[in-house]
Amino acid sequence: MKRFILKRVASMVVTLWLLSTIVFMVVNVLPGNVARKVLGGQALEEDVVRLNARLGTDRPLLTQYWVSIKRVFTLNFGDSYKSQVPVSDIIFPALGRSAKLALLAFVITVPLSIAAGIYAARRQDKPIDRVIVTTGLSTSAIPEFVTATVLLVVFAVKLDIGKAYANPPKGTSLLGELEYLLLPALAMSIAYFGYIARMTRAGVIGALHADFTRTAVMKGLSERQVMRRHVLRNALAPTIVVISTSVGYLIGGIIGVETVFNYAGLGKTMLTAVNSSDIPVLQGAVLLVGIVYMVSTLLADLLIAYLNPRIRLERAQ
Amino acid sequence: MSTAQTTTSVLSERKQARREQWRLIFRRPSFIVGVVIVLVWVACALFPDLIAPHHPLNYRTGKHLSPGWGHIFGTDSTGRDVLSRVIAGARDVLKIAPIAAVLGVFFGVILGLMQGYLGGWVDLIASRIVEAFLSLPVVFVALLSITTLGRSNLVVIGVVATLFTPIVARTVRAAVLAERDLDYVTSAKLRGESKAFIMFREILPNVSGPIVVELTVRMGYAVFTVATLSFLGAGPPPPSPDWGTQVSDTYNNLIADFWWPTFFPAMAIASLVIAVSLIADSVQSVMEGS
Repeated sequence: MKRFILKRVASMVVTLWLLSTIVFMVVNVLPGNVARKVLGGQALEEDVVRLNARLGTDRPLLTQYWVSIKRVFTLNFGDSYKSQVPVSDIIFPALGRSAKLALLAFVITVPLSIAAGIYAARRQDKPIDRVIVTTGLSTSAIPEFVTATVLLVVFAVKLDIGKAYANPPKGTSLLGELEYLLLPALAMSIAYFGYIARMTRAGVIGALHADFTRTAVMKGLSERQVMRRHVLRNALAPTIVVISTSVGYLIGGIIGVETVFNYAGLGKTMLTAVNSSDIPVLQGAVLLVGIVYMVSTLLADLLIAYLNPRIRLERAQ
Repeated sequence: MSTAQTTTSVLSERKQARREQWRLIFRRPSFIVGVVIVLVWVACALFPDLIAPHHPLNYRTGKHLSPGWGHIFGTDSTGRDVLSRVIAGARDVLKIAPIAAVLGVFFGVILGLMQGYLGGWVDLIASRIVEAFLSLPVVFVALLSITTLGRSNLVVIGVVATLFTPIVARTVRAAVLAERDLDYVTSAKLRGESKAFIMFREILPNVSGPIVVELTVRMGYAVFTVATLSFLGAGPPPPSPDWGTQVSDTYNNLIADFWWPTFFPAMAIASLVIAVSLIADSVQSVMEGS
């Protein structure tokens, strides 16, 4: 296990380095002047020079590269070009708010979608299974901002359930915040539901057809025992992988939802940064999401390896 | 001699199987429904003037009418017919998304073939880079690129295609690994064919199944991503009837109960992505035999 963890962490360090290199290249892919591109053709030359100095884009490329590599490992992303505040002071609280929203979406989705997946798998190819599969396929294909818009119209405006603005006023209790976060979280859940339900369904169907399940049935175990002890234990491992690797996906989809509901999370922060061409904040946000994604995949891998010794041995080699 | 014969018979069997697969795909109702919806939107994109009752930009009633007779989707805050704008708005996303998806698959296939067939350090290095790319959130990177490279369709296409390339490469690589030690590859090697010939003329036709699946799946994600990006401001600017642009242009009025100028373009996006994913799902489940 130790060897497996070491290997996995080492490969994550390499991926982190590549990640920061890619982000560096996105900013510097075209030769020339970053500040000129940000300010536009009509800006004064002295403003361009000043902005380049502030962004550090007037320094030699190699120095800039070294700085951007350092950032991803020290989590120090420099200063916001717009407000002069350290980028980390902006994006970490925003990430916290996004995480709160994502967590609520997670709590709503995971039990529901796993239950739906199991239910559908046990009635494979019956009408109810087709309904669950097609609904899941459709809802996970729709962009989150579309779902968010529809929920806002139907619930917040027409039915007066939930809030159209997700930012709770200062001093709202944690329970009170729920009311504000309910609709945006629901919008994310709808996108997320189909994905997990389909994966769970596939896993359970696979396990239902496996030899060990037939043996368990033949030796006379009750249906409940077969499901609990044999089918679900084997079927849920791929589901855990899906859940954890889609944490990044969940955060990626959050931009649309946060925009529609005006919620001050990482997505909305990023969009504000786009409108003011705040490159350091944008870079920081991309790197941060990349790191969150990588850590969650790492945790998933460790969890799977912990649950399944076969994988542990296979990967350590 | 006998090896050559088995190879040809294996190949013609595969061709037969592939024809059979397409027949199965065309028999699936979800595939038909998806294709019909996509064709309707393609017709709207090609001939908006023939289909739409009014001009998407120039026609103005001067009234913010709710949906009803005359304007079944209502009119927006400047009095333009929402139905006509939804019809005309099909064009942008249907232009950008397929180009991005095809480019992503094209480069992904080349990269995947090289990784899978050449192996060695090429594969080792490329795999690491692919893994780093997979941890990048598509929409976030797109927003960063738009800021540094400027807002244009070209940037959107470039970013989406670049971020799709490693995903496709991973699938193709796995398919190539399953083929590279088969007899027909060995015999091509013994004939003294070049590496490029073996990759593109021998292996490529035999991994077309996963590539077709990947193309349809990527098409769905491309529509999804392009619509999201244009909602976030990377698409054509406001007077344009582009769906994402319309939603972002009008969603602030939702709270005042002017729901229709936002709701109908949003539903248009939903219908298109659902249609594409129904097609992709049909192709995938038949090709992968589930």
